[in-house]
Amino acid sequence: MRIQVSQELLDRQLVDRDGRLVGKVDDVEFAFGADGVPYLRSLLSGPGALGQRVGGRLGRMLVLTAERFVTDRPLAPLRIPYALVERVDSAVWLRVSADELPASPVEQWLRRNLIDRIPGAGRASG
Amino acid sequence: MRKLLAATLGILSAVGGFVDIGDLVAAGQAGARFGMAHTWVLLLGVVAICAYAEMAGRIAAVTGRAVFDLVRERLGARMALINLVASYLVTVITLAAELGGVALALRLATGVPYLLWVPVAGIAVWLVLWRMRFPVMERVFGLAGLTLVVFAIALFWLPTDWAALGRSAVAPDDSGQGWGAYWFVAVALFASTVSPYEVFFFSSGGVEERWSADDLADARFSVLVGFPIGGFLALSLIATAAVVLHPAGLSVDSLDQVAHPVVLAFGAAGLAVAALAFFAVTFGAALETGLSAAYAAAQYFGWQWGKRVSPREAARFHTVLLVSVLLGVLMLLTTVDPVTLTEYMLIISAVALPLTYLPILVVANDRTYLGDRVNGRALNLLGAVLLLIILAASIVAVPLAIGTRMGQ
Repeated sequence: MRIQVSQELLDRQLVDRDGRLVGKVDDVEFAFGADGVPYLRSLLSGPGALGQRVGGRLGRMLVLTAERFVTDRPLAPLRIPYALVERVDSAVWLRVSADELPASPVEQWLRRNLIDRIPGAGRASG
Repeated sequence: MRKLLAATLGILSAVGGFVDIGDLVAAGQAGARFGMAHTWVLLLGVVAICAYAEMAGRIAAVTGRAVFDLVRERLGARMALINLVASYLVTVITLAAELGGVALALRLATGVPYLLWVPVAGIAVWLVLWRMRFPVMERVFGLAGLTLVVFAIALFWLPTDWAALGRSAVAPDDSGQGWGAYWFVAVALFASTVSPYEVFFFSSGGVEERWSADDLADARFSVLVGFPIGGFLALSLIATAAVVLHPAGLSVDSLDQVAHPVVLAFGAAGLAVAALAFFAVTFGAALETGLSAAYAAAQYFGWQWGKRVSPREAARFHTVLLVSVLLGVLMLLTTVDPVTLTEYMLIISAVALPLTYLPILVVANDRTYLGDRVNGRALNLLGAVLLLIILAASIVAVPLAIGTRMGQ
């Protein structure tokens, strides 16, 4: 499959098998195959990867803010092997469910320490 | 019958999304100081919001993604982040102004000082966002907001000189207040009509309600009927102020004065209806601005967002929502006058307008997303002309604000 990384992949929404929003394609990772030909190995998602691409003071501020929520630094991005991508249209659709991927540390921290403590956090209001 | 009902509900949400504290203040001031001389600005604003909301709705229906979800792909991660920070700040300041409007409406109804109502308004807005179902939320406040029609009715009740009203609408003059002040009010009124949160909200709402290409006609219909109805309500606000406040040389620095013409026509009952209408439109707008702020952040970073999933599944989205409402309340607790805050908010919004509208025009022309549903030639011409006007408003806003000392 032929795909333009910067036009069709970068910054695009990642959606899991069930339509849940997983993150954005904040960066990509290439690797060399056994034959020496480079290939697209994985999609990276998370504030660490995004901050590096944004660059400058703004990018650093982004990373520092996100790092406040995690214990193991530096912040590792979510790595999604490109083989898990089902199709690419206005979003990047994955073959797997979000539960099978490592959850975002910031999301987990806020869920545990803030949102779950408010009554009614478990019910969708529609 | 079901289709008719659905159409009505769509229109209701468009009306609810249109009139807010910015319109109450800007329309009241325009009418009181310049009569009907700003009618053309309001009409232009309605055309602009219709054109761009249609594009945003079409993008949402065809791609299943909200406009600001796509903006990052076209502006790049860095530019889009700067855009996000600016849009977020403007939206939260708007949220603060709307919360102030809710508090002022409650003061109008009860006589209890507005500052006491500020925390109540903040908690109530957050509770509704936390618990209430999305369509119900839109419709209740849209419907209650229609009570603003009392201003149009008052116009017939009062001894209105329709010929003079019509004349001042087609031949604008500066009423001896200076053209600087005239243009300052024009920019504020324009910004209140095309508030960025209206399109954030409209396109995200479309995604949330799972529009598809089949819903395009309905979405277009509610835009083209709902926003003009909102415009008509805003026009009746200008007209009542023009008839009652303008000849007396009164200016508008509180919501009491905006309500004054209705009180004059219908007494205490008029006051009650006006207070209800003010409450409904500002509360509805507070909900929409709060959601829009959180939408913008979530859609930039790709977080799970929306009210279809439980808050614990969208913890970052709900945290931003909570923090935004809290920031709005804190801003008001500095005891800044809500009407003054609204005036500044409108000028800041005017400056930030191109950040919202340029990306919409870009995405609406992108065939990789929209296929053959991209803008037609006529709409692009209209969109480009409107964008030039938006740019002009954005450039002159701050010089006008400084030069006229906020329209003095």
